[in-house]
Amino acid sequence: MARAEDSPVRIDTEAKILVKGITSVYHLKKNRTEQAREFIALKDINLEVRKGEFLVLVGPSGCGKSTLLDILAGLAVPTSGAVYIDGKIVTGPALDRGIVLQGYALFPWRTVRRNVEFGLEIKKVPKRDRTAISDHFINLVGLDGSAHRYPHELSGGMKQRVAIARALAYDPEVLLMDEPFAAVDAQTRENLQDELLRIWEATGKTIIFVTHSIEEAVFLGDRVAVLTPNPGTLREIVNIDLPRPRHNSDTRGSAEFGWIRRKIWELLQNSPSDVKRSLDKLKLQNASPDAKHHLNLLPVADIISPTASL
Amino acid sequence: MTSDDSVDKEATIDSGGTKWGVRLAITTNNLMDYYGVAILILLWEVAPRLGWIDSQFFPPLSSIYGEGCKLWADGTLTVHIAVSLKRTFLGLLCALVLAIPSGFVLGGWFPRLTRFLTPLLNLLGQINAFSLFPLFVLFFGIGELAKFSIIFWSCLWPILFTTIAGVQGVEPLFVKLARSMGGSRSLLLVKVLIPGALPTIFTGIRIGATIAFLMLIAAEMIGAGSGLGWLVHNSSVNYIIPRLYLAALIIALLGMILNYSIHRLEALLIPWKTS
Repeated sequence: MARAEDSPVRIDTEAKILVKGITSVYHLKKNRTEQAREFIALKDINLEVRKGEFLVLVGPSGCGKSTLLDILAGLAVPTSGAVYIDGKIVTGPALDRGIVLQGYALFPWRTVRRNVEFGLEIKKVPKRDRTAISDHFINLVGLDGSAHRYPHELSGGMKQRVAIARALAYDPEVLLMDEPFAAVDAQTRENLQDELLRIWEATGKTIIFVTHSIEEAVFLGDRVAVLTPNPGTLREIVNIDLPRPRHNSDTRGSAEFGWIRRKIWELLQNSPSDVKRSLDKLKLQNASPDAKHHLNLLPVADIISPTASL
Repeated sequence: MTSDDSVDKEATIDSGGTKWGVRLAITTNNLMDYYGVAILILLWEVAPRLGWIDSQFFPPLSSIYGEGCKLWADGTLTVHIAVSLKRTFLGLLCALVLAIPSGFVLGGWFPRLTRFLTPLLNLLGQINAFSLFPLFVLFFGIGELAKFSIIFWSCLWPILFTTIAGVQGVEPLFVKLARSMGGSRSLLLVKVLIPGALPTIFTGIRIGATIAFLMLIAAEMIGAGSGLGWLVHNSSVNYIIPRLYLAALIIALLGMILNYSIHRLEALLIPWKTS
């Protein structure tokens, strides 16, 4: 609630989504008598997302990536900072953002069609229009012929397709996806990634995608924001300039893909304090002003490795 | 069914002799469920007539049936059944009307109050309605209200408990998703909480209705001038043994029908429930 007072309601920005100085602190209590401990889930996160961009947030569990997504969705309130969409501050959930969760969260009492139409009902779209829209999106995710089925009759991959169709159906400009493919098997997962890229190219939505899989992040994203835990900080944003359209077969096999994947892996391996310590150590060994510059060119893992040739 | 059909097809390929054997085996298999009942009916009819058991205390089934026809003809049987059913449904309906909304309010809106009240509610729920019957008679007299109260009390607690459990058991992701679309509270209730809690609530309704019917019969035996329980009591006092058996059988049948109807209603209202 403090957010609304210390942040402007509207700011001028080119970005579709602007994340400005988000900090999120939880107060944890192990038992009733203990004093509350502070747990910093997110610390001063700044991020800009262009319209139509595919941004992936990657990081280990506990780095606050899901918290950040909840804040973007308007489901959680940050301790300080603010999120702007089209320059307008986010104060709560709304239909301009669609959300896809890892657990599918399909309503078991609704058929595929009625699940897809859920957001449309909230949006108060008349019934005859709803059918046409749900038909379109059920086809888009490749589930034609399954509209009348209940979720318990579907496989995990099909369920997630329904969840994507549901999030797209009410036409949000931004799609927030929280580890959507984490629960399906590897084969289905790669198919869904292919499909998602196709859908993204067809619809032009801005997508923010959370995952803990580096491979998935590199394959999907225009940019990958690397988050590190304790406290959750934005380590670096890596540009993925792999050519599009990307396909499972040729993209994943390319040398560039492997190189970027390794780079992100290294970023995740080394917490900033590790790097700083090793840099300090090196400074003692080699006091020349170029040393630091030279080290920046090296992969981080090589800097801290005791066997690395310097 | 399908497996039977395939067996049948195989049988036609075989020679004529074994075909009939297989047919017989299939029929036997299909009738397996009913053999026990058929043997019981047969024994019931034959044993008293042959003097294996005392027909005074164990009248043959045909005389029970005869008694049933007699009562049906003069209309008293219909009256007793109707009275018992009316009491059951009235009590059940009132319990539903009170328990389901309060369950939603408690479970969905006041979790702390619910926690505070749970031990008390558990205690009240454990009180056998039948043991309160003398009190009900004391407060409400021997009339309909006492019988209504016993049904109401028996149904109320299971339905209230399962409603609270049902609301609190609704998958948090469903709520999160509905909230992410900016759905209002009333919409959340109608579109997420009610359908999400319905399967659990139905368990409570089934338990409540079954207990309530049993309690009603007992209550009618103590203090009533009509109803199936009264019929049992009256027959025993007047020593009309076939009628006593008749009433007991009808009570069993009605109990089965009641349970089956709730099952059907559940299947109708909750088509998504996996078997």
